[in-house]
Amino acid sequence: MQAILKYSEEELVTLLKQQDQNAFSYLYDNYAAALTGIIMRMVEDTQLAEDILQEAFLKIWNNFRQYDNAKGRLFTWMINITRNLTIDTLRSKGYKKQKKISQDENSVSEYGDKSFKSDKFDTIGLRKQLLQLKPDQKLIIDLAYYNGYTQEEISKEMGIPLGTVKTRMRTGILELRKLLQN
Amino acid sequence: MEKSEIISSGLLEMYVLGAASPEEIIQVEKSRKDSPEINTEIITIEMAMESYAMAYAVVPPASVKEKIFASLQTQPFLVSHVQPNLSTLKSQQNKHSSAKVVSFSPFGKIAAAAAILLLLVSNVFFYNKYNNVDLKYQEGQEQLASMNTHLTEMSKDMNIVQSKYSKPVALDGLKASPDAAAKIFWMKNTGEVYVDPANMPMAPAGKQYQLWAFVDGKPVDAGMITSKDGRNYKIQKMKTFGKAEAFAITLETTGGHPQPKGEIYVMGKI
Repeated sequence: MQAILKYSEEELVTLLKQQDQNAFSYLYDNYAAALTGIIMRMVEDTQLAEDILQEAFLKIWNNFRQYDNAKGRLFTWMINITRNLTIDTLRSKGYKKQKKISQDENSVSEYGDKSFKSDKFDTIGLRKQLLQLKPDQKLIIDLAYYNGYTQEEISKEMGIPLGTVKTRMRTGILELRKLLQN
Repeated sequence: MEKSEIISSGLLEMYVLGAASPEEIIQVEKSRKDSPEINTEIITIEMAMESYAMAYAVVPPASVKEKIFASLQTQPFLVSHVQPNLSTLKSQQNKHSSAKVVSFSPFGKIAAAAAILLLLVSNVFFYNKYNNVDLKYQEGQEQLASMNTHLTEMSKDMNIVQSKYSKPVALDGLKASPDAAAKIFWMKNTGEVYVDPANMPMAPAGKQYQLWAFVDGKPVDAGMITSKDGRNYKIQKMKTFGKAEAFAITLETTGGHPQPKGEIYVMGKI
């Protein structure tokens, strides 16, 4: 068994810029599950989801020199690459912007390793907390985050004025932050 | 906009969730540079969204990781991977441009026609310019990729040289080629043998250098020295030896021999 290596985000970034495969393996072990979760909330087909995950990590590896921590956290950068790739893949395959997410939250966890545990995050506890998010607040977050909706599209979908979209988003995420702190 | 206004507007949330327009992205990126408060707020939103993503984590099958790492070895750099970013940006810009219909007076029509003509001409001009820039960009990327491969090789070499276990052995030129020299790095912990033949003259066609380790006074084949691009020799791994008293390099016919036949070029005792 390999020794468990721990890196600070700074070390990780430096090593990845030097194309260090151990650091990349660490990155995968820590974030692949979260990224898979994101893809699975947008894509039904597990094979397609795996392909996208693979492509996303290759993109992260190949484009790592473009990562700039002044423009965002490492994990956020990886999430953005994965989200954009998934959205692009769905569009190129002729999918319409779909609203898969809101109804089958729980079916997602049936895929993959059920015994998944993360020492950093209590996912079950987090999910319970997130259930308290109002449906409207959850919807506005998910439409932007998982479906790549523009502000105009959110306004149309939810039947709220364009000027209100931003403030609603602010309220929703403030609520999310509050729940996550508990 | 004031700092507090930006923070309370919801713009930063839109930015983190990828729903900000290109103009808004520019605005946010500028204001986060100017204001630590805004930067901190963005980071807090990012962390909230990261936890949100973590809450729905799903462990992928192990085969995905294997596939990813297998393709890392075969395709270290692909220029094409950079392209999708550009196209996403472009499609975003298109999304936000909208056309207005305006009616023209007769004079206006002539002016409009002239403007369109000018626009067409400048389009061709800028298109060419864009192509040039694009080409330059591609070239730059390729150059960067090759420099990086080079750098990776260099750092591999440095690892061998700097390893605390590596024992250097200098091989000095003999009668056949007094100017020739080579170095051996012998790893005390594993017995791995690396040779740095950078200062050997290029072997003539049909000939190849062969490394020998002297074990109990007898030469034992330690492998053939190769040159990948046919131009210069690089540090390379040879056969592994648990013990040896000396190393030597001879010039042999390509492919080598079980026992040295050619002339000895360099030699060094441990």
